[in-house]
Amino acid sequence: MLFIFRRMAGAVFVIFGTITLVFAILYWLPGDPAVLVAGENATEESIARIRTLLGTERPLWAQYLDYLSGLAQGDLGTSFATQEPVTIRLWAQFPSTVALTLLASTVAIVTGVLFGVIAAVNRGNRLDQAIQSVMLFLTSMPSFWFGILLILLFSVTLQWLPAIGSDSFAQLILPVTCLGLIASGRLMRMVRNSVLDVLDEPFVTALRAKGLVEWQVLFRHVLRNALIPVVTLLGILVGELLSGTVVVETLFARQGIGRLLVDAVGVKDVPVIQGTVLIASISFVIINLLVDLSYSVIDPRVRVEG
Amino acid sequence: MITRRHAALLLGAPLILPARAFAQERQPATPRRGGELLFGLDGAAVASFVLDPHDSGFAPHNRVFRSIYDGLVVLRPDQSVGPWLATSWEISPDQKNYTFKLRTDVIFHDGTKFDAAAVKANLDRIGNGEGRPLTALPDIGSYESTEVLAPDTVRIRLKEPFAPLLRNLSKTTLGIISPAALAKHGAAIAQNPVGSGPFRFVSLVQGVEIKLERNPDYNWAPAGAAHQGPAYLERLTFKNVPEEATRVAAVQSRQVHAADGIPPQNVVAFRSASGFQMLEKELLNNNYTIYLNVTKAPWNDEEIRQAFRASLDLDAAVRVIYLGTTPRAWAPLSPSIFASADASLKGSWRPDLARAQQILEAKGWKVGARGIREKNGERLTVSFADTQGNREKRLDVIQFLRRQLARSGFDLSIDSQPNATYRQKLTDGDYDLSGASQFAPDPDVLSRLHLPDGRTRASVAKTNDPDISEWLRAGRREGDPEKRAEYYVRAQRKLVEKVYAIPIYVLLYTIAASDQLQGLVIDTHGFPQFHGAWLRA
Repeated sequence: MLFIFRRMAGAVFVIFGTITLVFAILYWLPGDPAVLVAGENATEESIARIRTLLGTERPLWAQYLDYLSGLAQGDLGTSFATQEPVTIRLWAQFPSTVALTLLASTVAIVTGVLFGVIAAVNRGNRLDQAIQSVMLFLTSMPSFWFGILLILLFSVTLQWLPAIGSDSFAQLILPVTCLGLIASGRLMRMVRNSVLDVLDEPFVTALRAKGLVEWQVLFRHVLRNALIPVVTLLGILVGELLSGTVVVETLFARQGIGRLLVDAVGVKDVPVIQGTVLIASISFVIINLLVDLSYSVIDPRVRVEG
Repeated sequence: MITRRHAALLLGAPLILPARAFAQERQPATPRRGGELLFGLDGAAVASFVLDPHDSGFAPHNRVFRSIYDGLVVLRPDQSVGPWLATSWEISPDQKNYTFKLRTDVIFHDGTKFDAAAVKANLDRIGNGEGRPLTALPDIGSYESTEVLAPDTVRIRLKEPFAPLLRNLSKTTLGIISPAALAKHGAAIAQNPVGSGPFRFVSLVQGVEIKLERNPDYNWAPAGAAHQGPAYLERLTFKNVPEEATRVAAVQSRQVHAADGIPPQNVVAFRSASGFQMLEKELLNNNYTIYLNVTKAPWNDEEIRQAFRASLDLDAAVRVIYLGTTPRAWAPLSPSIFASADASLKGSWRPDLARAQQILEAKGWKVGARGIREKNGERLTVSFADTQGNREKRLDVIQFLRRQLARSGFDLSIDSQPNATYRQKLTDGDYDLSGASQFAPDPDVLSRLHLPDGRTRASVAKTNDPDISEWLRAGRREGDPEKRAEYYVRAQRKLVEKVYAIPIYVLLYTIAASDQLQGLVIDTHGFPQFHGAWLRA
């Protein structure tokens, strides 16, 4: 319990640090949001009026404290660009990104772990080499290039799957495959290596000597011990997938928080950028918290030491 | 690994596979009613659609406006102005009063009636707006007020003559919005558009799609339109597909019936692909032009600008990057705009590397390390400020020019920035070179760039030439078209002669479509017209 509490306190600190840093960077970057909101034909007076309206003429610390106190009440502010509450703009885009990220993670985990184990068991032979080359190929693929290849093959040539949109499950398949398979390459190599390490340990030989069937050795004992480093990598991977959605969402013409963020940075829509970063860092922190908690499930020793 | 040959096979496959060439003979078919047209829009990775015509200068959104909103007048193919919601008009001898007679049978999508008061509400919103100034403000120039003389008669008063007004009234940016909807939605009209056009708004998903449906009452298309009466299509859906490769794939896989902003390599392929068609038409545009920052040394020196331009071989750049699909520009205004000097400026200068080097030598810029010229310890660097990425392959062009410039000792670098930073740099004059284009039906668009008191502080052009300013002001006031054209031609000639502007290419608006789509046309402005479009069974 103390472990969870400590992790939570750390998480709050990380989130707080992130939004403070982003806040500082945004104001340090050149460009006045009021000028952009006012548009091409604005006079000096109307820019000044908009500055007051947005509240950007106040000192930086006042704006920062104001933002924090709003945040404490669950108010993410109002978008500079569209005058809509930031929460509304975020919730319009977020579910689509969550679906994409979670499904892509699932694809990455299933293929990564499966092929990693197969490769490890077949160490050195053709199957291992084949799996390794394919996975290396996938890992080295930039997502926009792999995505275009998938579209050409499955949408244009075979006409099996839609290339664009975010309404149906079919429209998720290509972007999920694109993101998930690229991530699975690294995961597979990690799984393979750590399974191989564990296979060499004396307790495995002991288990085999005890007369356990090979699949029991593998899945009950080896995999469980091999998973700890893999799970650590998973925490980082989910974060990478989340940021990878920026490219994939644009490529597959999907809704999503990635595009919202890029758009907001372009027009210096500070509240929207802050909101997006906040929601992304919360997701990242939650995932890493889950990763940390899962250690104790996989390996009870962590609980005692934690 | 994928080799180049495999990649070529993969890329080429879509062009070979749908080989249904012999099946569909072109025959004049009778238009079919109904169906939903899916259109892939080259809308950039924006997260919010702004469907307020008075407040968006963003071309992709303006391509949607023409289906929702009508204009008072229409621009005909010969660049003259014809009646639309206004049936006739009179201009007072002092050119300060425009009196319009209006159609009386026009109804907005919300059921309210179009009349003189509606025109007044729209123009007052732009001209005397309480809130922040809207994008369309420069389109109405010296607007003073609008007077309702009768339900079907309206008079626009100007503070001083503004000859571009009539042509500007044909722009999508001066489309007429329902005043009742304006009162109801306020600024949120941008997400709840209500006009009188052939399609009415159904719904949108921000950044992703815009759904429209047929306006069954529509019966006021301008004379000479390809189609009269309600649109054939039941529904019209725009899908925003920012990535060009995806847009092309969506057409090829028939996930959309058509898409715009087709990259050159695919234009060439679609032209000959069976089962598909290409529509291409010049966009009335102040061409994509690059401007040296003339407020900053050494670009304030005309000879250095001449040396810069003499280093460029634009014919080669445009031919290589656009594969011959789009013409190279000679004048700031695209060839079809009234008063464009494109034809008369053709061949007005040519690349001359020797001359460029000679000028730079004479000016004391000596070749230094890595072939880059230096003077008093300062290197001859050119920072190209940019915010839009490789839109229309502009950065490819700049990269190409970069190598040409290196031969005479210029060191060009690309300074890519978010929009906010970019505009700040333009405002502060903290750049050497930048480029832009502006769609416009009237030559007065030049004033927005080259008239010091007529442009924004973040203007990409910083021209300040007394002759040009005088001609641009005179062009605004002049009522006689021939004299007026003369002013703009002179201004364009001097802009090119003094290297204030280096026009690059003429943009063709491109649509790739399945053969199933019929009757889609590109209007005189260069925007798509869906009113007469229909889908073959």
